[in-house]
Amino acid sequence: MVKKRNIVKSTLFFLLIMAILFFCLFPFAQMLSLSLKYSWDWGNPSWIPSKVNLEAYKELLNIGGSLKDVPESVRLLLSESPDLTETQKEAILSKYQSTGDVFPFLKYFANSLMVAFLASLISVCLSILGAYSFSRLVFRGRSVVQRGVLFVYMFGGVLLLIPLYRIFAASGLLDTPAGTVVSLIIIYVVQTLPVSLYMLGNYFRTIPYSIEEAAMIEGLGRFGIIIRIIIPLSISAIVTVFIYCFMIAWNEYMFASIFLKSYKGLYTLPIGLKTLFVSKNAIWDRIMAASMLTAIPVMILFMSIQKNLTGGLAAGGVKE
Amino acid sequence: MQTSPRASTKVKALKTRAQQEQRLGWLLVLPSVVIILSLILYPIIYNMFLSLFTFDYSGQRSFVGFGNYAKVLADPEFRTALGTTILYVVLTTLGTTVLGVVVALALNKEFPLRGLVRSIVLLPYVAPVISVVFAWQFVFDPVNGIFMDIFHSKLGIFAERVNIVGDPNTAVWAAIVFSIWKNFPFIYLMVLSRLQAVDKTLYEAADVDGASSWQQFKAITMPEIYYVVSALILLRVIWNFNKFDEVYLLSSNVRVLSVYTYLKAFTGSMDFGQGATLAVLQFFILIGFILFYVKKVLKW
Repeated sequence: MVKKRNIVKSTLFFLLIMAILFFCLFPFAQMLSLSLKYSWDWGNPSWIPSKVNLEAYKELLNIGGSLKDVPESVRLLLSESPDLTETQKEAILSKYQSTGDVFPFLKYFANSLMVAFLASLISVCLSILGAYSFSRLVFRGRSVVQRGVLFVYMFGGVLLLIPLYRIFAASGLLDTPAGTVVSLIIIYVVQTLPVSLYMLGNYFRTIPYSIEEAAMIEGLGRFGIIIRIIIPLSISAIVTVFIYCFMIAWNEYMFASIFLKSYKGLYTLPIGLKTLFVSKNAIWDRIMAASMLTAIPVMILFMSIQKNLTGGLAAGGVKE
Repeated sequence: MQTSPRASTKVKALKTRAQQEQRLGWLLVLPSVVIILSLILYPIIYNMFLSLFTFDYSGQRSFVGFGNYAKVLADPEFRTALGTTILYVVLTTLGTTVLGVVVALALNKEFPLRGLVRSIVLLPYVAPVISVVFAWQFVFDPVNGIFMDIFHSKLGIFAERVNIVGDPNTAVWAAIVFSIWKNFPFIYLMVLSRLQAVDKTLYEAADVDGASSWQQFKAITMPEIYYVVSALILLRVIWNFNKFDEVYLLSSNVRVLSVYTYLKAFTGSMDFGQGATLAVLQFFILIGFILFYVKKVLKW
């Protein structure tokens, strides 16, 4: 009797776990499956494509498709006119290639990478100093600073969108492409700084103070301690915070959509994908392939830091 | 009493040492503080200032006092947006919390491959919104999506294929489901780490006393996770109330307040004055709720 109840119970439990896994994973399965399907296969509810279609990935990653759209006669002309210099040839070719049909995935990817990387780097550097300061040094106003950081990381988003846009527009930074990128990086630093400060502060407090005292007796100054003791001892936490900031910046849509509106060449992936979706080139396989390629770097980063990150998240350092 | 010269230099040395620490402390934290003050606190105040003006096409502003507030509060679209926001916040917070707690309780039990399952559950939370949002759009696609395939073709709950995301009246439900899916892992993670800290001997003692699982849940687990869950509910309300990306990218038909503000300020006539007003109202509604919640539920 007892045994029978146990079997029923563990079967139910197994089903519950399966249901949870299914619920978490089915949109990803949907995404992967659709990215590999031909358009005639979309209505087929099965997730396994009747025939695997890799065109979308090839197109996005620019593999083998560079000469596809160029008419035969032009290609012939180019190969038979030795008078033309390389740059002239390229100019002619690019006329046919840049019809606006192709989604410049790699370019957007590079933009996203640059913005997210620089923003998280600056954010982490500043917060190492700041977090060390308020986890170790005694100074007047320390608790106000700490509480202030906690307070501001509750707010953000739309509340800051209009004033920040006005401030940056008035400063003239948004008039040039370089200035726009700088503004966006500053915005992302602001968005991630409170989290970084909070998470790193929590971590630094777990490092025994006696190590620092010993170093001080050996004659090391505070900066020496930060560089030679604190950073090496907390490198895993620093990497975790870096990746967490990176993910926030990588995923950000709202500020990018406002700031980069007039610079198509600077689009980051979220805004590029959204534009692709509402354009006439919206084809499910291409959108899903682009989604997969956007998600994969983040997933890999997450998997690599998962143990540390979940600890850090649970310690209270979170932000949306 | 006279202090010896040596002692006094020592006191002096200590004093300058402490002063040095003070200065260094401020020096190190200063860049962060400057950035936060100038790019978070100042904009919040500047936003309140902007809400008192109206802007023409060239960006010239003229003072209107509380004119924007009168306009916004009389605007039926604002009230609809507020209603949609409340519906969205209440249901998403409820859904993520219940699901998160249930999953945390389940994954707190021992079973094979538990570590793997635990990390898979986090995937919805870490995946970029922009990429999963399209998968969900396809799920709700009226022609090819599996939602309609199941609920229309197989179960017949819907009499015809409807475009849930495209219809402004139903899009909010898709947004709610999507948000629950995306954010329940956060609650799960927090609750799980709290559950792992619960003293196991409490359950053993309860077992000896013959308490059922439900009784154990009520008498031990519930009180143990009460404060974590109430704090998490507060966080989720704050975040879901301000949520923009998840809603707007799924469907701009879902006019929650943040989407409404965004559209008001950056599309069409680009009304910065009313946009800023909306943001200020949103800020105060939220502050009001936080104060109420902290006092009544968290009892601080």
